[in-house]
Parts: sequence; C-alpha cells; structure tokens
Amino acid sequence: MKILNIANRHSVILSKLQNPNIKNVFKFKTHYSFPQSHLIYNSCSNKNGGKFTVSLSYTTTRGSGMTVSCKLKTSKSDSNKKSKNKSLQTKIVVPELDGAPALSQAAEEGGSAGDRSVPVKPPPPPSKKSGLGLLKGLPRRVLSVLSNLPLAIAEMFAVAALMALGTIIDQGEAPDYYFQKYPEDNPVFGFFTWRWVLTLGFDRMFSSPVFLGTLALLGASLIACTYTTQIPVVKVAKRWSFLHSEAIRRQEYSDTLPRASLQDLGIILVGAGYEVFLKGPSLYAFKGLAGRFAPIGVHLALLLVMAGGTLSATGSFKGSVTVPQGLNFVIGDVLGPSGFLSTPSESFNTEVHVNRFYMDYYDSGEVSQFYSDLSLFDLNGKEVMRETISVNHPLRYGGITIYQTDWSLSALQVMKDDEGPYNLAMAPLKINGDKKLYGTFLPVGDANSPDVKGISMLARDLQSIVLYDQEGKFAGVRRPNSKLPIDIDGFKIVVIDAIGSTGLDIKTDPGVPIVYAGFGALMLTTCISFLSHSQIWALQDGTTLVIGGKTNRAKGEFPEEMNRLLDQVPEIVESSSSTQSDSFSG
Amino acid sequence: MIFSTLEHILTHISFSIVSIVITTHLITFLVDEIIKLYDSSEKGIIMTFFCITGLLVTRWIYSGHFPLSNLYESLIFLSWSFSLIHIVPYFKKNQNFLSTIIGPSAIFTQGFATSGLLTEIHESTILVPALQSEWLIMHVSMMILGYAALLCGSLLSVALLVIAVRKNRKFFFTSNHLLNLNGSFFFGEIEYMNERSNVLQNTSFFSPKNYYRSQFIQQLDYWSYRVISLGFIFLTIGILSGAVWANEAWGSYWSWDPKETWAFITWIVFSIYLHTRTNIKWKGTNSAIVASIGFLIIWICYFGVNLLGIGLHSYGSFTLTSN
Repeated sequence: MKILNIANRHSVILSKLQNPNIKNVFKFKTHYSFPQSHLIYNSCSNKNGGKFTVSLSYTTTRGSGMTVSCKLKTSKSDSNKKSKNKSLQTKIVVPELDGAPALSQAAEEGGSAGDRSVPVKPPPPPSKKSGLGLLKGLPRRVLSVLSNLPLAIAEMFAVAALMALGTIIDQGEAPDYYFQKYPEDNPVFGFFTWRWVLTLGFDRMFSSPVFLGTLALLGASLIACTYTTQIPVVKVAKRWSFLHSEAIRRQEYSDTLPRASLQDLGIILVGAGYEVFLKGPSLYAFKGLAGRFAPIGVHLALLLVMAGGTLSATGSFKGSVTVPQGLNFVIGDVLGPSGFLSTPSESFNTEVHVNRFYMDYYDSGEVSQFYSDLSLFDLNGKEVMRETISVNHPLRYGGITIYQTDWSLSALQVMKDDEGPYNLAMAPLKINGDKKLYGTFLPVGDANSPDVKGISMLARDLQSIVLYDQEGKFAGVRRPNSKLPIDIDGFKIVVIDAIGSTGLDIKTDPGVPIVYAGFGALMLTTCISFLSHSQIWALQDGTTLVIGGKTNRAKGEFPEEMNRLLDQVPEIVESSSSTQSDSFSG
Repeated sequence: MIFSTLEHILTHISFSIVSIVITTHLITFLVDEIIKLYDSSEKGIIMTFFCITGLLVTRWIYSGHFPLSNLYESLIFLSWSFSLIHIVPYFKKNQNFLSTIIGPSAIFTQGFATSGLLTEIHESTILVPALQSEWLIMHVSMMILGYAALLCGSLLSVALLVIAVRKNRKFFFTSNHLLNLNGSFFFGEIEYMNERSNVLQNTSFFSPKNYYRSQFIQQLDYWSYRVISLGFIFLTIGILSGAVWANEAWGSYWSWDPKETWAFITWIVFSIYLHTRTNIKWKGTNSAIVASIGFLIIWICYFGVNLLGIGLHSYGSFTLTSN
C-alpha cells in the first residue's frame, strides 16, 4: 500500500488499494486536523483495477476542526453486482506541511454549490455513504442509468413522437380501415403498412403497450432523477459561507465601491428583498432561494399527476345513457368498469328520474343551454337529491358525477281529430353538419297497407314542428305548447307536446382528487421556479467595498439590477472636504 | 352599429401603427440609429397595445362574452399578447430586443386575422353552451399568452442560430486550418478561436465586430431563456386549467383530443429545452435548435390542428375559402 504525501495542491491521489475483496468505490470522508497532521480515511477500491482519482475540495466549518470532504471520479463504472465492502481504516501520517494546502481556489468552491467540484458530465457519479451497510450493486446501477439526462430527453422525445403519430393515424377504426389506408402493396414512405399499425397497437395508440411503456420509463426516470440529482441540490444550495476578496472579485459580476460602508449596502439590499447576513467585515445576501427548490416540486407534482392518472385509468367507472323525459334508470346499470381496480360503491344503487328536459334559446333561434331536472332516489324510494343540471354544471352525488352532454327528441304527442293523444316516436334523420333533425310519421288511412300515406312531421329542436301533408308538401309550422290546430288534408292536427330525451354521461373517478392536487402543485411550483437565486457577497476593505454576485437564471438582468442597487449606496465623504460631493444618489 | 365601426377603426389604427413601427425599425437598421426614432417606435407599440385593448373591450361589450370564442378573436388576442410582452420589459427599463421580433409577429397575426381568408368569422357570434363557462377566460387567455411568449422566445433562438451559423461560416472561409470541427459549436470555443485568429492574423477588423456578435448572441441566449421560461409557465397553467375545465364539462380531464395532444407535445418540447440548458455543454446552440423546433410545433398546434377541424376544439376551425 503506497502512501503519498499530501502536496501543496488541492487535487492529489491519496492511495491505490489492491485488496481483491473490495469492489466498488464511493465517497469517503477524510478528517484532517491541525496540528497533529493525522489523516484518517475510509475507502474502497475497484476490483477490476479501474483508476480512481481523488479531488479534494476544502470547506471550512465554523469550528476549529477542518473537514475535508472528497468526491470521486471513477474512470470505470462499477460492474459487479452484490458486493460487500470492507471499510478500511488507514492512518496516514503526513510528516510536514507548509501550512494549509492551497486554499484560495478551493475556498471559493466551498462557498457556492458544492456540486461544482464534480464536473458535470453525464452521468454524474452516484455518491452514497460507504463503509456502512450492504451495498447492492444492481439497484444503484439501475438508478444511475435511469437518472441519465440524455436518456430522459430521449424518452421525452419518444413520448412526443408517439403522441404526434397518434394524432396523424386515425384512432379506433376497424382493421379494415387500416387495410385500405396503409395497404401493403403501396406502403406510405415506402415501408409503413397496416402491419406496423396493428401489431404495434397504433390504432389505439394512447392505451397501447408501446406508449404506456415509454410513459412508465419516463416516470421511472423522473423518480430516479429526483432522488439522485435533485435532492442533493437541497442540501448543497442551503450551504453558503462568506468569501474573501479575491473570491469576490472573481464572481460573475463584481464591482468595487470606494468610500462606501457595508451597513449601507446591507440596508439597501434588505430594501430590495434580499436576506442579508453580516459578520464583521463580510456580508452575504441572497434572494429567490425557492427558485432552486421549485424544480424538485415540479418533478414531484408530475409524479403525483402520473399516479393519479394511472388510478383513473384503472379504477374508474363510466357510462352514458339517453333517457326520455319522464323515465328513469339505475346508475349501476349503465356504468362499466375501466380497469382492474374498479370497485362499485353503495351509491350505484341510486335511481335517477328525469323530471324534465328543456332547452333555452337565443333570440336568433340557436340553442343557448340544455337543462335536465333530475331527482335521485335511494333503494327505499326516498328522494335524496334534486337538481337541475346543464352543460358545464354537473351533478355530484356520492362520488358519482352526472354530466349533461347530449340530447335528442324522443316523441311527439299529437291529437288527430280530437282523438288521442298519440305518442309518435321520433327518429333521427341524417343530415350534413352538426345540426340534428328528427322526424316522425302519422299514418292516415289503413296503417297496414304497403304504401301507406300520412302526415310527416320534422323538428330540429323542441321549439317548433314542421308539418307536411300526404303528398309531402309543406303544410305549416306549429309550436308544441301553443295548442293551435292545423288543418292538413281535412284532418285537424294539434301538436300537444314535444318530448325530449336527455343524454347524460356518468362517471366515477377515484383518481381525480390526486390529479387535481398534482395540477395545483405543478402550477405553483412551475411559477416559483421562474425565480432566480441571486447571491451577493461583499467585503469591507478599509473604506473600499468589494462586491461580487451571481445568479443562476436571470443572468441578463442581474448586472443591471446590481448597478441600480449599487448606485443607491451613499458615498461617504469626509466632512472636512470642501469639494462638491454627491452624497446620495438615486 | 357604433361598435362595429369602432372595431373597424381600432383594427385599422393598430394595423397601421405596427406597420409604421416596422418601418422605423427598418430605417434604423438600414440607415442609422436615430434615438428619437427608437423612442417613437417604443411608444408606437404601446399605442398599438391600447388600440387592441380597446378593440377587445369593444367586442366584449358588444357580444356579451369574453372575446375568445373563435379563431379570429384568438388571433386578435395573440397580437394583443405580443404587444403586452413587449411593454413589460419596457417598464423595467431593460434594453429591448423584443421589439424587432414582436413588430413583424404582431403584424402578421393581425394581418392574417383581418385578411380576406377569415371574413366569415369576423362578426361577434353567440357562445355555444359548451363554451359558457368561467374557465373559458382563464384557459384560453393563458394558452394564447403562453403561445405568444413561446413564439417570441423561439424566434429569438432562431435569430441566435442564424447569427451563430453565419459567424461560423466566416471562420470557415477565413481560417480553415484553425477549426476544430468537433466542438465548433460550443460558444467558449468560438470565442477562443476568435482570440486565436486575431492573434495569428492580426486583423483588428474582425475583433470588435465578432466581440459584439458574441455579446449579442449571449444576450439573445439569456432573453430567449427568460421569455421561454415565462411562456412555459403560462402554457402549463393553460393546459392544466383546460384539463380541469374538461373534467367539469365532459367528465374527463384528458381525452387525447388532437389539440390537447399537440399542446402536450409543445409542453414536452419546451421542457426538453429547459433541460438542455442545465447542461453547460449543451447550452447555447443546441438549446436554440430545440427552441426552433418548438417554434414549428407551436404553429402546428395552433393552426395545423384547427385546419383538421375535428375533435372537441373545433371552434377554432375555419375553411380556407378564397374570396
């Protein structure tokens, strides 16, 4: 075992161990205390002979001892699975040292985020406490692979590309459609045939295994990344220390103010929203620290949304029903489960009765809103709820939500020659566009003969009915509630009522609260992560003030903001000076 | 009647002011920098902002609903957002690169909106029942603001790419033997090569121009990053509020509607942009490339899906009829 002297450099190879039982290399701690010059460290080395270099970065604590913490760069990634490590305790006696090793360059690193001592090179080396406990190589390796940033970016691209493909290829059609659209003898782009579409599940892209698998992979990367890269940021970003003047001058933005005082700067910074710490001649101020932690919140909120979405996809019930006015249905009869986690609840036994369905119209005759007056009855026949729903205002009861989504005309009530009332069922007629058209037929004469003639009635909505005579000629328009008779071919027809039916969508979704919580968290944390973490150091050097600062996001605006703040620092003038002095500016 | 003539007047005023602003920019660019002209162009965009605000308020009062129900109104809102984004840095007294991008953008959107392609949807119409909700205001306005900011930011990135590529090309022609093609897109190396070429060739002609170019590229980079971050926030809020609205109205917060899907794709592309900026090696040109891809994606999301005219978002659809 070789022991090297610690030279006067801040990066040094301490030792290379050749013990064959020791496998993977992790972080190790060294304690270095003056003046005994004892160095104690734990370490492991890579069995396969990979080289490891130790770069030391010094941080000074406020106490009297000095802790040297080291980060490792391994040139060879760990390859072995279950490995036990033996902690090795070695004392290295350093004979002599010319004072502390070169602190200046390291000290500035210590003041800022410690992760700068490790070069940002994907993948960042995983750091874990060594020497304690069992290390499982496989999960750690998987973790390091998953938290790789280029992989995450590639996954995001893949998800985006699959979604784009899902919008281009028509979804949910019968296989015949794809046979025609992507034929084998004339493939799109030369290779894309229906075989691609159907085997990869692109016809139901958003529930296909390919898509869901990529999403799951992205989720795993999110978890891995949050754990390995983001959470250490929390510990590191909170650490700070005062800097001395060379380090301050080396910051991204630095300035020197002759004849200024630290306290004035401190007051101005407090006024500008910074949190200021003063100790002796040094000052440290920061602002916007939340902006460093917010990305973690973003990732956690995304995970929450994904979890809620998974619960929705596997645990919800949905169904839709068209109910004519006056009829009823049982909720449980119309709902169908969506996945394996769906469990029915007690409120599925509720019976829904449609009391009335009506529509509101604009002056131009267009529909302005649909309303359904619903009553809910429980098993005993007791009315538990009565509410009128409309589009955008659903009914919520016992975890079930009823939405107004559609409507149709179910029947027309007419009197013929004061006989009746006849309930004529209306059927939808197909026309181009969004508008609906319903028609019905009142036979005149022998209803069983093959060419039966009758009176046709058409309606677009509940407002007015258009009537045609036996030859198909237009006869007139009547409003249902006006009770005005119309004479067609000698028959007196009175339209009494147009009975509509309401189209309701019913859903129960346990994942919604989770997803809403995730949405709220996502919105909030995305807004907060816009903040820029600005740090300012200052040192009073006689009458001169040395100021330096940096920020992580708003790099373009920071110099101007700093200039504006520094312009406000008053200049201290000797009272005996007779020359004109500008004492307070701006 | 008053309202529609007022609308017409305001539309035409804002259109002409933006044209004048662009003209002053062109003059500044081609002839010389005249400070008074610069100031007046700034004020011009503020006047445009007020004109379009007046236009939107007029439509609001006249039709009774917030003016965001079809493609024409959303285009007007888009040009309003552009002018809004422009004047925010103006009040912070920052030097404004955005005006050169915003002027033409606003004029294009407004021009397209008022052009003959969309005449049938100029008049204010009534709202269908599905759109009668308070969420309309929040969701659509956030989305359009997000689009405007992201468009600005990605245009800044495109400008960055153009300048950086042209800078590289100059090097290709003048100092081939100094090039290291592997890393030639990394900014630090560009500046390094700049220094080296200056020392070796001793041409002071290159040095100040390329120094200012590098500074300018850096400024473009920062501004593009900040504007895109802002736009990303708006886009996030817009997508999420749309999801909550869909849940209230139709029972499902995500139904893989083409418009929803493309908005999500846009969101993913810009989050890729934000992630590439965390890595120092990829900052600069690579993230600018991602932002430029994002520019195309936004247009597909905003216009392309509307051309298809299918799905729940069909309010924005229009048919290209040539009058």
